[in-house]
Amino acid sequence: MKDIARQRMSIKISTMDLLNNQIKMEAHASASYLAMASWCEQNAFPSSADFFYHQASEEREHMMKIFKFVADCGGNPISPSVENLNHDFSTLEEVFETALDQEITVTKSIYNIQSAARKEQDFLVENFLQWFITEQLEEEKTFRDILDLFEVMGREGIALKFIDERIKPE
Amino acid sequence: MTTVYSSKFYTFYQSDADRCYFIDFGQKLVKLSFCQLLALRQRIQTISIEDHFDSDLNKHGFEILMLCNKEHLFLLNTFEILDLMELLGNALGVLGIANQIGLTSS
Ligand SMILES: [Fe+2]
Repeated sequence: MKDIARQRMSIKISTMDLLNNQIKMEAHASASYLAMASWCEQNAFPSSADFFYHQASEEREHMMKIFKFVADCGGNPISPSVENLNHDFSTLEEVFETALDQEITVTKSIYNIQSAARKEQDFLVENFLQWFITEQLEEEKTFRDILDLFEVMGREGIALKFIDERIKPE
Repeated sequence: MTTVYSSKFYTFYQSDADRCYFIDFGQKLVKLSFCQLLALRQRIQTISIEDHFDSDLNKHGFEILMLCNKEHLFLLNTFEILDLMELLGNALGVLGIANQIGLTSS
């Protein structure tokens, strides 16, 4: 029997499923940053809001990158639905901490696909994901640096204003 | 055409000559390209079979399935859906296994 699946698609179906799941995750991250931007707007942190608008569009780019990759491989990329978005935060610090946790979850998920791809000998995927691994380091570092500002400058009144002013879209 | 898997109601074939698949639905033989097979698999995965046992969520226990860019339309009941799920799962499994051990003859 011919291997039609391999002739038509350059990656394994199981890997494609994981990538589709990642597409969903990036879409969720994008929407989630938009929710954070909304909170920052409403709580008078305009620089942070700008920062999150920028993050939201970056996450969408990540999503599109994976989407195009699945299509280029001959697969079936699935346009994601986004559910369970949180709009409630109590402090600016909590917003950034949630963002960092979200990035860590994304990093773990990418590592997970990477190890599955390696097991399946989907080296093409391994190569593709390399970019994301470097990108995730950058993302995590960005949020870690911002959270450090709260340690240094404090969490009350005018300190929050100064922190907000220091936050710039990368 | 090679038979890949037969479930209770349906049979899954591969045609090397046409580089495609066929599913015999009993009353109709449907030709599927690889992309169309992936689309069918995706559609089946989105079916919530639990809803079939809840008369509020799926009143009559039917599922409408459109295949191959809406060329075919099927109305399947709970048993037929479960059977189709089994067919696809196993057929893809057989194809996957065949690929892994590098079977080239039919
Ligand atoms: Fe991302």
